[in-house]
Amino acid sequence: MVQFLVEGRELVAEASRDLAMLIARPDDVAALDGCFRAIHTLKGSTGLFDLQPMGAMLHAAEELLAAIRAGRPGHAEDFARVLEAVDQVDRWLDALEGDGALPADADAAGRAIQARMRDAAPALDQAEAQLPAVPDWQLSAAFTGLSGTAIRYTPRVDCYFAGDDPVAIVAATPQLIALSIAPRDAWGELEHYDPFACNLVIEAVSAAPRGEIEAAFRLVADQVELAELTAAEPGAPAGGMTTRRTLRVDAARIDHLGILADELVTAKNGLVDLAIAAEALPGGHTLGQALRSRQAQLDRLVGDLHAAVGKVRLAPLAPLFARFPRLARETAGALGKSVRLELEGQEIEVDKTIVDGLFDPLLHVLRNALDHGVEPVERRRAAGKPEAGLVRVTARAAGDQVVIEVADDGAGIDPARIRNLAVARGVLGRDAADALDDRDAVDLIFVPGLSTATTVNAVSGRGVGMDVVRAAAARLGGKVTLSGEPGRGTIVRFVLPMTMILTKLMVVTCGGERYGLALDSVVETARIAADRLVVMRSRQAFQFRDQVVPLVILRELVGGSSQGALAPRGGAERVVIAWVGGELVGFAVDAIVGRMDAALRPLDGLLSGAPGLAGSTLMPDGSVLLVLDLAELLS
Amino acid sequence: MTVTRDGATIRLQGRCRVEDAEPLASLLHATPGLTVDLGDCEGLHAAVVQALLAFAPKVVGTPSDPVLRDLILPLLAGERQRGQRPI
Repeated sequence: MVQFLVEGRELVAEASRDLAMLIARPDDVAALDGCFRAIHTLKGSTGLFDLQPMGAMLHAAEELLAAIRAGRPGHAEDFARVLEAVDQVDRWLDALEGDGALPADADAAGRAIQARMRDAAPALDQAEAQLPAVPDWQLSAAFTGLSGTAIRYTPRVDCYFAGDDPVAIVAATPQLIALSIAPRDAWGELEHYDPFACNLVIEAVSAAPRGEIEAAFRLVADQVELAELTAAEPGAPAGGMTTRRTLRVDAARIDHLGILADELVTAKNGLVDLAIAAEALPGGHTLGQALRSRQAQLDRLVGDLHAAVGKVRLAPLAPLFARFPRLARETAGALGKSVRLELEGQEIEVDKTIVDGLFDPLLHVLRNALDHGVEPVERRRAAGKPEAGLVRVTARAAGDQVVIEVADDGAGIDPARIRNLAVARGVLGRDAADALDDRDAVDLIFVPGLSTATTVNAVSGRGVGMDVVRAAAARLGGKVTLSGEPGRGTIVRFVLPMTMILTKLMVVTCGGERYGLALDSVVETARIAADRLVVMRSRQAFQFRDQVVPLVILRELVGGSSQGALAPRGGAERVVIAWVGGELVGFAVDAIVGRMDAALRPLDGLLSGAPGLAGSTLMPDGSVLLVLDLAELLS
Repeated sequence: MTVTRDGATIRLQGRCRVEDAEPLASLLHATPGLTVDLGDCEGLHAAVVQALLAFAPKVVGTPSDPVLRDLILPLLAGERQRGQRPI
């Protein structure tokens, strides 16, 4: 069942994508084939479980598509009906995932959609009589995986008297590749067996062109049904799409592999100390050098391994994105708005943890965009915008990060309104609020309690605010910001790490604790004599090269010690000079311990809300090292 | 005569036609447990196939006709339901 849910989602996504294309361009043959295949496979899978309403509804959808494939003109409305069925399947998958069963009204809901599909296809019966397509009988199990034309021949009971030999007729069919003969009705008491009453159903598959098969059966055409068999079902789609060789592996195993790789990195770092210790021994220089070169080799291999494991964990965003069109349609429908959803960048691959963790925050933002962003139709018309709102969800890779944006063309966010709201809700005083520039004012929306909607409705504003979105992004090691222009729209931007990457850290001590700092922001370490320190206003600074650099006592920021003033030790301070938010800042620390590579883990539990912490990692001795986010510490 | 009984074996020879179905059915009905030999058979009428399916005797021999050998024989020689056969 778990497998079915995973594959079901994929097939729903495939079908939805193709249907969306077909609604725009009803004559897209590739999309029609793709969608037909997805629905056909989906229908096949329902047979393995007790999902009769789903199977029946999909069968109707398949028939409608088959008729269009066979030549009946397809209209956008037809595909919209099929999409409705696919959306229903997606909802049912939600129910199956949650309760393990279809909802009680599944039968009625399925029937209603089937009826609409029949209405959408007035020409269906006619078209089918002309060119029947998919078998509407249960194919013999022996025929699974064959392609060609399926033949079902039910000779009349009196056909022997009429001089027909059904077996000879079938045997004369060109390119016969499979045959099955079964009794039409159970044999019953053989005491009364009538050798001249035909009681057979003959099924066969032929690879010959349709016309030749029809010619072979022309004398008994009224007793024969023909249908196209789609090749190689279930599983690999026939032709067209490139099949990726994939292996489904339990995520827990990959996680375990990831943890092992992380720990290997940690264990490897221990070798550096060992090499230094060996070099310090009398006569240990050669051994130390050898250890170092081995360490460097191991370093590279472990780095590669870590990267490879990280790649295994990569998953495309497509399945995540694919869930949004339906949810957007439903939400927009509930709000009485017309909205177009554009998705872009589904092919981008990011760590599976991030894909999984993004659904809730992205959905929340998407709902906000539909509810609060896109205006009601009248207001859009008045503003000279197209009636249908546009929401774009895009993903793009930016170095080792992925940027995901949810942009709408709605009313945007008015900084003044946010300021007022912040004052009204007691988040900020009037003066403080007015002192904020527009960008910071808009950012207030992420403050707990502020974005909770004043009116609660079914779509958004269920008491869950944007603070939850920001927290979710932080848990994934990323950030979320909001921008936009009043009247033009809003953009919510997530910036997330693509993989659980190795970060180079500088380890420092201060206030008796060890901390990690991201090495890439560190410019230099220096010893600054006390007499080089100047006091500017209440802050301390020092001259570094050509500029004056503010000095921050890291001990004070991390709250490790109540001792605020500089502790003069030999009249000089150990200072780490780093780029923070585009400026050089000096951080006074007690000592610089060394450097290490670490797999940064997002903080969880009690620490997850702590400001100024970027994550944690394990030290070679097994202790936990907290890694500081300098920019956040200073803000 | 294309249907002949030889001890415990019924031989179907040449092209078996619709009228062969009746004697075959009678033989199979009268003496359960008979074996049917298709080694010299060149074709089976549907009515004969039907009788073989209904009475489900043991089938031996390999006919030379490709359709008979490759498509029909497997249906007769495979495992079939014999549930309603009166003994």
